[in-house]
Amino acid sequence: MQLVWLEMRDFRSYGSLSFRPDPGVNVLVGPNGAGKTSVLEAIGYLATLSSFRRSPEGALVREGAETAIVRGEFFTGAGGAIIEVETPPTGRRRVLLNGKRAQSRADVAGVVAVVAFLPDDLDLVKRGPAYRREYLDDVAAQAWPAVSTEQAEYERALRQRNALLRKDGRRTDETTLDVWDDRVSRLGAKVLERRLSVLDLLEPEVSSLYTELGEGSERLSWRYSAAGIGFLSGGTGGAELVEPLRRALSDARQEDLERRTTTVGPHRDELAISIDRRDARTRASQGEQRSIALGMRIAAFRVLFDRRGSAPVLLLDDVFSELDAARSRRLVGHLPDAQVFVTSARSEEVPLVGARWRVDDGEVAAA
Amino acid sequence: MFEAPVQRLIDELSRLPGIGQKSAQRLAFHVLHIEEEDARRLADAITSMREQVRLCARCFNVTDTEQCSICRDLRRDPAEVCVVERAQDIVVIERTQEFRGRYHVLGGAISPIEGIGPEQLRIQELVARIDDEGIKEIIAATNPTVEGDTTALYLARLLKPLGVKVTRLASGLPVGGDLDYADEITLGRALAGRLEL
Repeated sequence: MQLVWLEMRDFRSYGSLSFRPDPGVNVLVGPNGAGKTSVLEAIGYLATLSSFRRSPEGALVREGAETAIVRGEFFTGAGGAIIEVETPPTGRRRVLLNGKRAQSRADVAGVVAVVAFLPDDLDLVKRGPAYRREYLDDVAAQAWPAVSTEQAEYERALRQRNALLRKDGRRTDETTLDVWDDRVSRLGAKVLERRLSVLDLLEPEVSSLYTELGEGSERLSWRYSAAGIGFLSGGTGGAELVEPLRRALSDARQEDLERRTTTVGPHRDELAISIDRRDARTRASQGEQRSIALGMRIAAFRVLFDRRGSAPVLLLDDVFSELDAARSRRLVGHLPDAQVFVTSARSEEVPLVGARWRVDDGEVAAA
Repeated sequence: MFEAPVQRLIDELSRLPGIGQKSAQRLAFHVLHIEEEDARRLADAITSMREQVRLCARCFNVTDTEQCSICRDLRRDPAEVCVVERAQDIVVIERTQEFRGRYHVLGGAISPIEGIGPEQLRIQELVARIDDEGIKEIIAATNPTVEGDTTALYLARLLKPLGVKVTRLASGLPVGGDLDYADEITLGRALAGRLEL
């Protein structure tokens, strides 16, 4: 997969930009705040319709502008596809795929896959379970396009159940709650099934990458722990998960009624990473954590490559400044043959050969 | 921006669903240029619709009499009732010419986020109809959304113990379409609801 051209108007700090990248490696160099990350963010936005900076959509629109427009053409194994996204500061965005209104996020997710390496990727290992859930869900949504709709439906049902609990607390009508339990467990089972499938694909990659990235002979392992259910392993079918989820919800009902929120379900699950028997989150060195995070991103790339049949576009946002020379070299050694976009404040710290672009003052020019 | 009477019409029009500022301006200027009599007819159509139209006492469809034309139709089978969220959904189902029973308009779907629980919908009224009319089957034709599906399930839980058969519209593939073009969610549902031949 490859981005052929990119146009942005009133996106972040850009007035207007038109950019024709190289099909191989593109290194974007410029001072801090010049807008390097915004270019990567725009590419990611076209592919996933969300910001990898976790920004609300309104924040993508240039101050005072009526709407932000990003469009780009991707060349995939199946031919070219033009994606256009128009985002107002408030309200609904408009998405066109080859000039036709896209019906859902899934339509766009089916076109192109991206994997982004971010400066704060260490969070994947160090911080709370939400980061690792999001990682699994992101990879799943790009591996199977229908997943983004399933995730949205689960979140919707969950929000509805929470709204019901918040309103009535202990006086919540149990029949209505039963009905929401049924919805949440059915939709939750799908989310869970996809997570476990993607986990199954990712795990061998991550463990072998951990060794390849040179962290020694210790074994890296993952364990998925489902709130209210217990440890689950890959390959568990969605149908087998509905009943356990329903039971977990019913076991937690008293607590849910007290706390006025849903305390079990895929939104509360944890993916625990350990090195031999040490918990990677609390008992691994910064360097080990860094290698795990890199491994998770490269593994995502490999899995998506395999599922989709062509290489995802790679976005490396200011990654090399965080890595020591040895890890930088190893990362480069593992970068696959793909279209790559790299940002950096210092050109010399990027050990990659490719097209160099100078980003300054809302302009991107060949350097 | 415009002269006060023009602006007033633009403001009113732009409050309608699906009409933005630009469309409202275009409509307002269109009205400015038509015959005065045509303008009056339009205004009269709007106000008299509001005066004359009310909700059917039985099914809450839109009508201009005590009961709607479907409820008054003696050839309709009272044992089958199709439950919809909005009155306009009736028109869509009627167009198929496939359904010979009666309807019931709930007035929405269960959505705690918007403060809509079963009490806010016309569910008690539906329950009251079951014995009165000898209803045997309820067809839940609520929208295939999280809220619509939930409402259908709620009806099933509530009505099955009363001895009523509750069915749900199947969701599936568009007729005459190619399998390639179906999105995964629709195809997944079609697979789950497959029929034996």
